[in-house]
Amino acid sequence: MIRSPAEGAPFASRSLRKVVALLQHDVLIVGSGLAGMRAALEVAEDPTLDIAILTKVHPLRSHSGAAQGGIAASLNNSSDEDSWELHMYDTVKGGDYLVDQNAAEILSREAPENIFELEHMGCAFSRYDDGRIAQRRFGGHTEPRAVYAADRTGHALLTVLFEQLLKRGVKVYSEWYALDLIIKDEVCQGLVVYDILSGQLETIAARGVMFATGGYGRAFRVTTNAFASTGDGVVMAYRAGVPLQDMEFVQFHPTGLQGSGILLSEAARGEGAHLVNSEGERFMERYAAERMELAPRDIVARAEQTEIDEGRGVTELGDSVFMDLRPIGEERIRYALPSVMHLAQDFAGIDSLKEPVPIQPTAHYSMGGIPCDVDGQVRYKDQDDKPVVGFYAAGECSCVSVHGANRLGTNSLLEAVVFGRRTGRAMREQIGDLEPTRVTEGDMERAVAEVARFREGADGSERVGAIRSDLRDLMTEKCGVFRTDAQLNECLSGVKELQGRYGSAAIDDRGTTFNTDLLDAIELGHMLEYSELIVVGALAREESRGGHARHDFPTRDDEKWFKHTLAYRDEDAPRLEYSEVNMAPAYRDPYPIEERKY
Amino acid sequence: MPQQTFRLQRYDPVDERSYEQEFTTEVQPGQTVLDALNDIRWDQDGTLSLRMSCRHAICGSCAMKVNGSSMLACKTQVSAAQSRAGAEGVITVGPMGNQPVIKDLVVDMDGFMDKFEQAETWLKPPEGQEPPTREYRQLKDNFDHWAHASTCIHCGACYSDCTVTEVDDKFLGPAALAKAYRFVMDDRDATKEERLKMLSGMEGGIWDCTRCNMCVQACPKDVLPMDAIIELRTAAISAGYTNNNGSRHSKAFAGGVKKRGRLDEATLVPLSLGFAPTAIPDVLSYLPGAIRLLKSRKLIEAAKRHGAPKQARQEIKRLFEEVQDEKQHHDLDAESFAALHEEANKTR
Repeated sequence: MIRSPAEGAPFASRSLRKVVALLQHDVLIVGSGLAGMRAALEVAEDPTLDIAILTKVHPLRSHSGAAQGGIAASLNNSSDEDSWELHMYDTVKGGDYLVDQNAAEILSREAPENIFELEHMGCAFSRYDDGRIAQRRFGGHTEPRAVYAADRTGHALLTVLFEQLLKRGVKVYSEWYALDLIIKDEVCQGLVVYDILSGQLETIAARGVMFATGGYGRAFRVTTNAFASTGDGVVMAYRAGVPLQDMEFVQFHPTGLQGSGILLSEAARGEGAHLVNSEGERFMERYAAERMELAPRDIVARAEQTEIDEGRGVTELGDSVFMDLRPIGEERIRYALPSVMHLAQDFAGIDSLKEPVPIQPTAHYSMGGIPCDVDGQVRYKDQDDKPVVGFYAAGECSCVSVHGANRLGTNSLLEAVVFGRRTGRAMREQIGDLEPTRVTEGDMERAVAEVARFREGADGSERVGAIRSDLRDLMTEKCGVFRTDAQLNECLSGVKELQGRYGSAAIDDRGTTFNTDLLDAIELGHMLEYSELIVVGALAREESRGGHARHDFPTRDDEKWFKHTLAYRDEDAPRLEYSEVNMAPAYRDPYPIEERKY
Repeated sequence: MPQQTFRLQRYDPVDERSYEQEFTTEVQPGQTVLDALNDIRWDQDGTLSLRMSCRHAICGSCAMKVNGSSMLACKTQVSAAQSRAGAEGVITVGPMGNQPVIKDLVVDMDGFMDKFEQAETWLKPPEGQEPPTREYRQLKDNFDHWAHASTCIHCGACYSDCTVTEVDDKFLGPAALAKAYRFVMDDRDATKEERLKMLSGMEGGIWDCTRCNMCVQACPKDVLPMDAIIELRTAAISAGYTNNNGSRHSKAFAGGVKKRGRLDEATLVPLSLGFAPTAIPDVLSYLPGAIRLLKSRKLIEAAKRHGAPKQARQEIKRLFEEVQDEKQHHDLDAESFAALHEEANKTR
């Protein structure tokens, strides 16, 4: 745990402008990706509710827009065999059974109506000749159920939701940064926020606060994640006393561009791309003979890493394998995978029509996050499973948990809209019954000290960029696709050492206007705090399941580890507890745990 | 490792001072301009502010001017920028144009974003009609027709380089108009006519573009904003929205050329502005210019060049006929397309 060196620092700081509780709303949503915007539209259905979205980047910059391949729904537009049950089964099995089955059931049952709703809003989905929405195959899904917009599906969805937001005139605090979540007596009161433009700190009181703040993949050197994906929401919740669930489960996507880790969509494999090692072998044959390249991501990523570790990697560095698009054919590549083609060209100088692309596993998705129920209500998950009254979460920052130990491709966009919508509805129905909130100047103390420490404090001996760079190297090397006890212990002490160095970090920019130096420093604090939770959870979990693979415990151990991890913030170190996996879907029997083969 | 010098155009909001500052940093093969700027920020000077997020050309955060042209820093290889660098091989980087600078490379994009709201860029399905229980049937041909325009990432690069926006901040600009185009063409939208009427009649609408093509060059995606604007003009005229200066100008221009084989400057202004009583002040406002032209004998020169030689006139006439034929074919295509679409929706 980080002991913020700012704690106890002199509070009085004349130049730091701060305003208490002038701003208030009934509902305040933090984050403007798919989950946040979808929820906002739902709340806005009740015109008597005063609602606002707060986001550190303009809504159209949100990382949902980077999702490429598709969004799953059993529409049966390309098949007669699909059903929500099959979708649910694929999701449960894909998640290596650590999936809450009540949530997976909702996800798959509500998928089609959500897709049609988005289509009616004007989403630019790719079509068949007869005008129906087109669907393609995706890893771990038995049937072709990925609805898509070429290979820019997230962008199409983000755009259409923003259009609807604009139409409704929903208030957006764009380029405002949330610093602290205020919870008193287990009731959420609002937020401490920072206006990036003016550099001013304020509170916003709100009876309902929803986090849709995205994932935490930036702690890894090789990652698909945007600079913004620094786990701010999960850390704010954690600091406010909420546990974090299953943090050790980080998905490594099999096809990141070598070096940068930039995402090349799984749609490429869905359309028929091959994975090939240095010997020219389609190696997936040895790992998942039936599904081959379209096995779930955890299995493909492990296979690639094994090929690389055993010396069958490609390029001079030997740290990657090839993805060969050529079997798909030029015309189809140009039509269905233009972004993949352009990314290979623009970011690696490779003409994917003519040669294979070197790719490697890349940190992609955060399965863990803020524990909540199927209506977005955040829960303490203690003995009474108390709700955090007025606090909600959806999307990647949350852990419902529909993805369990490994998310299937196309289920993340779906999760964001299905549970964003449900959370919005729940807030709309519940907020009117909640008490008015209490926000005082004292609630700003930690945030004021944090900002003052960097903006007005002494020069430090450490640069933020150097600490961050070391953290990312450490996490990719010691807490990557494969983990061992020794590596994780090294990683943990490394993270702690970096937390110590962070104590003497300083920044250059002491200004108030658009101070990105300051935000970098605050975000690094978040990364250091949640990285410890990833490692601690991974160290404790002595088995291999989904995205968490241990060389020293290579098999799944259901007897000991069929349970969710919960990390609570104690005085000196995180305290781990565990909770049961939900096996009670409403409309059918649960799928029993089986051996996972593809 | 090779060194590269960047000349950054900076802005200090406290002193309200613009200045240039040079930084030299090591660059590796494959590095982007954004990578280099981040190396500068993280290793040398943390006070340098810029926007960025996804680093792979989809979030639209990091548009800026590199060597004077607007582009995404994350998508621009340093090596590519080097080839267009100045004499000493220095790469210049500055904030986008046509928008107020907040700090360094960060500009105030509110004006740009407001234009989308003004252009009402959201789907307007048929009013008072429940949507189908499943998806709207949308023929692949229709989707393919406008899908490229839906790839806009709202980065502002086109707006930054737009030569009309530079002189007229009411102009909706290339991005908002391209997005309006996407809804005019989307057959799920029930307000094609109203949209065309608004876009052709409003101040800052489709007729204010000068077709300089800067937006097409700046766009990091495949949006082709200028082409979209041109297609909107054609659609507006076809739909009968001709009571505006833009379409009258276009008609007078073409009419003059068709008739005389060359531009008829003497009639262009009155024909463009129209003969409605409300147009009189506008027509009169051109008088001082016309008098100056008269004084410098330019109008007389123009009148003397009354027409093109006969042979050229015949050739021009033939060209007009050819275009007319093309257009009729196109309209036929459109009709059969509409019929197909109706058929598809019947089987919904």
